[in-house]
Amino acid sequence: MFNYRSFALRKLTSIGPKYLPFADVATDEVPLTRLLRLSLFQVTVGMALVLLIGTLNRVMIVELAVPASVVAIMLAMPLLFAPLRALIGYRSDTHRSALGLRRVPYIWKGTMYQFGGFAVMPFALLVLSGFGEAVDAPRWIGMSAAALAFLLVGAGLHMVQTVGLALATDLVRDEDQPKVVGLMYVMLLFGMVGSALVFGALLEPYSPARLIQVIQGAAVVTVGLNMLALWKQEARDRDRAARMDRAVHVPFETALRGISSRPGMLRLLVVIAFGTFGYGMADVLLEPYGGQALGLSVADTTKLTALLAGGTLIGFGIASRVLAQGTEPRRVGILGALIGLPGFGAIIAASLGGGILAFLVGVLLTGVGAGLFGHATLTATMRAAPKGQIGLALGLWGAVQATCAGLAVALAGIVRDVVLGGAGLSVTTPYLVVFMIELVMLALAVLVALPMVAGTRKPQSGAPVAQQAAGTEQPSVEVT
Amino acid sequence: MSDDPDKVWPTGLTLREAEEVHSYMIDGTRVFGVIALLAHILVAVSTPWLG
Repeated sequence: MFNYRSFALRKLTSIGPKYLPFADVATDEVPLTRLLRLSLFQVTVGMALVLLIGTLNRVMIVELAVPASVVAIMLAMPLLFAPLRALIGYRSDTHRSALGLRRVPYIWKGTMYQFGGFAVMPFALLVLSGFGEAVDAPRWIGMSAAALAFLLVGAGLHMVQTVGLALATDLVRDEDQPKVVGLMYVMLLFGMVGSALVFGALLEPYSPARLIQVIQGAAVVTVGLNMLALWKQEARDRDRAARMDRAVHVPFETALRGISSRPGMLRLLVVIAFGTFGYGMADVLLEPYGGQALGLSVADTTKLTALLAGGTLIGFGIASRVLAQGTEPRRVGILGALIGLPGFGAIIAASLGGGILAFLVGVLLTGVGAGLFGHATLTATMRAAPKGQIGLALGLWGAVQATCAGLAVALAGIVRDVVLGGAGLSVTTPYLVVFMIELVMLALAVLVALPMVAGTRKPQSGAPVAQQAAGTEQPSVEVT
Repeated sequence: MSDDPDKVWPTGLTLREAEEVHSYMIDGTRVFGVIALLAHILVAVSTPWLG
């Protein structure tokens, strides 16, 4: 029995480096199995994202008949927490603990919030939609409970993701840090694709009881996977605890000002904002667009999310290959934004006689573009970050990225409702308006980014020299 | 190491370490308690029991 298991593990790790992008980040001290186990936290984050943006978005609008603007507000709740990612990253960089733990306490706290939000969410949604006796209940109960549930899940997933990524970068060498974050994002996408398919299958004959089972099941799986991911990843360390006790840290404002005053940083953040906004608006509208304008069923529209994530995975793969060859990350980022233009063109064309094939091609293209753009801008941010502030840098990127993605989602819902309420327009018009806005945003991202690469004709020589500051903040790797 | 007066029997943690572990325990209990209360209230609103 046991031999089988170790045999299977050895097989898995031997095929890993060939087919999994970024797998070359593994070393003898930190084997790939350990990194993959850690990456399970990304799977739970992906699951939460799919449930919120994909599945519940559709279920609330179609099955529960909640007004689309209320749905948009609920889905925007996690956003209120997104700008705090920079603060969370900073706090975990400078955490003081008698046990010498920096990242684990935050991931655990985030997991609790995520679980709590999911545990309450199905009941909150049922009350919100006036199920059973809840028709007579005051409206604010359902609204505030659902808002709180979404807020908890959002807070939890931002905490888990920011600090989890920081923990992953702690485990590997400095020059491998962008790569390990890339690996983590690949696992996020696997989590999103997998859970999109699972949720789609589980909710196929929809019933309120099934909704409760699925969401609470997600809560239990979240806690289980996160505990498995964290097990023995960050060792208890009295020396580090003593160092933490003595360490003097600059205040958050100073650290933030320091990192954002680096050359090109603000412009990079603006590019990330525009590009993410451009790609983000579609996330929430692709499924209802497929359902209302092209007549696809729930199961079909959930598979759209899988297709989008599959495209993003391809984008990540291409980006990792190209970046490993030493291409300037900002150039790759511009390419990522450019690919979105024909992508959204095809999506628009689908309802103007292009048919479902054009729609699917468009969805795939925007996925690829989003993957290229995301990985390239993340790599650019991390290369620009000072040492010892990796949590802050990851948090800053995540804050801009998640805030814009969420704002885009909210705005998309509002624009659609406003245009829909306008006059006797066809069902597709509001969607097309949103897709046009996305085209403009991506074009803006390219325009802002162009001056950044105009000066750097010659790509930087790839692999940065390994300058291990031996002993100062070496990740503890003993697995006992 | 073994003659550290701060060590607490039987875990071998120091007092501060033990207190930190305890704080996670307390926080967790509070959060889960509030969540359970909220979930019960919402269920009672939509499908009342004992009513």
